[in-house]
Amino acid sequence: MSKLGNRADWADDEEFDDPSALPAQQITTNKDGTKTVVSYRFNDDGKKVRVTRRIKTTVVREHVNPQVAERRSWSKFGLEKGHAPGPSFDTTSVGENIAFRPSINWKVQAAEEEKNGGEKGGMKDQLKDKKVKCRICSGEHFTARCPFKDTMAPVDDSAGGAGLEGGDEEPAAGGLGAGTSSYVPPHLRKGAAAGGERMAGKYEKDDLATLRVTNVSELAEEAELRDLFERFGRVTRVFLARDRETQRAKGFAFISFADRDDAARACDKMDGFGYRHLILRVEFAKRTT
Amino acid sequence: MRPILLSGHERSLNQIKFNRDGDLIFSVAKDKIVCAWWSANGERLGTYTGHQGAIWTVDVSPNTILLATGSADNTVRLWNVKTGECVKVWDFPTAVKRVEFTPDGSRLLAVTEKRMGFLGTIAVLDIAYGEDLTSQADEPSLRITCEESKATVAGWSFMGKYIIAGHEDGSVSQYDGKTGEQLENVQAHEFDHQINDLQFSTDRTYFITASKDKSAKLMSARNLAILKTYVADTPLNSATITPKKDYVILGGGQAAMDVTTTSARQGKFEARFYHKVFEDEIGRVRGHFGPLNTVHVHPNGTAYASGGEDGYVRVHHFDKSYFDFMYEVEREQMRR
Repeated sequence: MSKLGNRADWADDEEFDDPSALPAQQITTNKDGTKTVVSYRFNDDGKKVRVTRRIKTTVVREHVNPQVAERRSWSKFGLEKGHAPGPSFDTTSVGENIAFRPSINWKVQAAEEEKNGGEKGGMKDQLKDKKVKCRICSGEHFTARCPFKDTMAPVDDSAGGAGLEGGDEEPAAGGLGAGTSSYVPPHLRKGAAAGGERMAGKYEKDDLATLRVTNVSELAEEAELRDLFERFGRVTRVFLARDRETQRAKGFAFISFADRDDAARACDKMDGFGYRHLILRVEFAKRTT
Repeated sequence: MRPILLSGHERSLNQIKFNRDGDLIFSVAKDKIVCAWWSANGERLGTYTGHQGAIWTVDVSPNTILLATGSADNTVRLWNVKTGECVKVWDFPTAVKRVEFTPDGSRLLAVTEKRMGFLGTIAVLDIAYGEDLTSQADEPSLRITCEESKATVAGWSFMGKYIIAGHEDGSVSQYDGKTGEQLENVQAHEFDHQINDLQFSTDRTYFITASKDKSAKLMSARNLAILKTYVADTPLNSATITPKKDYVILGGGQAAMDVTTTSARQGKFEARFYHKVFEDEIGRVRGHFGPLNTVHVHPNGTAYASGGEDGYVRVHHFDKSYFDFMYEVEREQMRR
């Protein structure tokens, strides 16, 4: 108590750390001649930040014309009057780097560079060693010119299917009856079944249990749709088409179920369901060809 | 090399000058201000305001105390380089197309335009560097009248001995620096192709002319002999001789107003480097969006500045490859 009694008021205590005070700057000289400066400051968020800088001092001796040195101290005038020293951004900027290599035959070199750098030349070079290969018989002609075009299926179709994967309305093997259309795509032709199957990929199962929901409100949300359909079974995927710019729903959605039976039930029950003042139309997703 | 872009002007550049020490650049354009820049970093030191018309020409005294400008407002103005104040105005009957100080800075020549019944003249003004810079002679000490074809450019040869003038008709003439008497006249360029620029070498014993006839010529100041010819594929507006390396830099380009009237397509807005001795084109530096109106090289030969119709000044500090380039014969001579 006596200790406390010595103090008139704790607020006057000089030893008490003021939170706004910053520790003094420390400078230490390292063995290799560099200096380490540790200083403290407040950053924009009002937090105390320690800044450690290592400074190496190099003395560069330069001989300057005394007149030039005298001019360096001139102050700015005219439109620049009162501006801070250093180049100002509105008058001075640094341009793109220019490779300037004088040479006697620079014209030839410049022409060559243009050739190499040009898009056309590059593409040509890439395709120079390419050989034409028929996808049906691996002969050296275009597939369209193949003599076996109508009678044989492609030897290897894996390259064709890769690009289409991930589409929402993926066509799958068997989805298209042979009788509906006179044209049968090559991968669905007899003897090419394997290729066709592969193309449908992992979405085939999904597609069988995917519902297409139309007349969806503009204000619909994926979560809401998921809640609506979840009660019929496990929903594996909800896709709500949205406008690219406004991010509003476009009016249709795809709901994928884990089980096709659930999907069938959902289709039955939800068709005609009122959602956000609109009557939903639900059907199994059709495969587009 | 990375050029420094100086965008202090709103209209096309007319002339750029380094001072003798090379630390300052002065630029004038069709807008009414003169800009002074530090050549090292492109910082603007200041502007000189007072002209009422497009400024055609600028020159700085060898000691970087006075700056002279000639303008379409029919005046030559003398400025205090340090403060930006105008210390003297000389009025002329017509526009002033070119000013240049003698190598010792004691005299200034001004080339006036031929217009409104006045013949083109070259006036010589005496310059004093006293305490009071405003006390300058009011009248020219010498006046040369160009009766045949007006002078477009002019400059002082070594020690101010001759005045060399380039004319509108493509000829180059030599006048005595003291008396103004015409000593020689040579049809250096094609007839009726105006000479757009005339710049001297460091020792002022020879000079280069740039003409509308798509060529530049290196000529002796003593007898106006044509030493070298550099042929370009575009009208030339400016040419300069680089110290340190034996190159010349030519600037030009098809003027936008002539694109439709000539077969040449728009473009070729590049600074062309030629070897001074071998007359070969050794490289180009692109960057401007319009014809190059003026090029000037740092007196030490370490940088050059170009000003274009696009209103930009580009300052290029040369890098190593520029200094390393040598012809095989030059290299052999070095080895010996």
